Amino acid sequence: MKNLRLFIPIGVFLLTAVFLYKGLFSDPTNIENANLERPFPEFKLPDLMDPSISYSKQDVMGDMTLVNVWGTWCVTCRVELPFMTRLRQQGVRIVGVYYDNAAEAAFGNLDVSQTQQEVKEMLAQLGNPFQFNIYDVKRDLSLDLGVTGAPESFLVNEKGIILAHRRGAIDERIWQKEFAPIINGAK
Amino acid sequence: MLNLYRFLIMASFFWLLPLQAVEQTYAFDDVNKQAIFDELTQELRCPKCQNQNIADSNAMVAIDLKNKTYELVQKGESKQDVIDFMVARYGQFVHYDPPVNAVTIWLWIIPVILLFVLVFIMFKRNKETTTRVSDDYLKQAEEVLNQLDSDSAKKDKEA
Repeated sequence: MKNLRLFIPIGVFLLTAVFLYKGLFSDPTNIENANLERPFPEFKLPDLMDPSISYSKQDVMGDMTLVNVWGTWCVTCRVELPFMTRLRQQGVRIVGVYYDNAAEAAFGNLDVSQTQQEVKEMLAQLGNPFQFNIYDVKRDLSLDLGVTGAPESFLVNEKGIILAHRRGAIDERIWQKEFAPIINGAK
Repeated sequence: MLNLYRFLIMASFFWLLPLQAVEQTYAFDDVNKQAIFDELTQELRCPKCQNQNIADSNAMVAIDLKNKTYELVQKGESKQDVIDFMVARYGQFVHYDPPVNAVTIWLWIIPVILLFVLVFIMFKRNKETTTRVSDDYLKQAEEVLNQLDSDSAKKDKEA
């Protein structure tokens, strides 16, 4: 009995050590998106390039679709464009949600025709993964999706349910680990 | 005199801190709505720069959340409505005052349990150290003492 008691401090120490050690590798920004496994929010927004075209929730449903929230001002988005373009060539349906820089929007410095020009140049240079781009005019759709910045990606199934979410760029490793198994599992 | 001067400078420093926290770019006609908006921007947490509320943060998402809060409050929604709206989109993380539920209840319970355990151990220890020596043991000790006394008395006689 007396000997067993000696192990109590050691046990407490070990538990604390394990807890703190795990903390070293936990990412505080990795908070699960609140929309996971919920239906994609309703919206009615114009096309980025042609404002006369209007999109709604039905346009991201019907097929397994990767919805990518991005902007030309966002550096990480540039990084993932070439990989996303390869995904499109492999047959993945990718839809863009264009997310304006809110700080610039707050100062009223936004000009749609200039944005369209930048988008054209950037996609010509780095590859165009998108079937079409939805222009999130007031970023209401992004807010409904719980987006905290760009890029963010949502995998939506044919019924319009969000199956997976990624905050930050998607690369080969993340695609294989987090998205490919879901798509393969659904087939 | 110098001390008073110093004190005033320091006091004014602390006095000004809370005042500069909120920029006044959101105008309200209604004082109550203004109050709700101020409370909300203090309580809602920026999902990007995680240790700031949205009043303090200038991250893009915080700007959008402030605009949305303004819009909803102007529409006449209550404080709880706006909080529910944000939590539905950004999760409990977005509110600095999370509800008590099956997970968070432990944060309140564990310290109380620890307190009880410690008090229990303290009392137990106290009792152990002050326990009276049993009567049997006392008798034995007395016998040994008597034995010793008689032995030494014998020795004195012989000497």
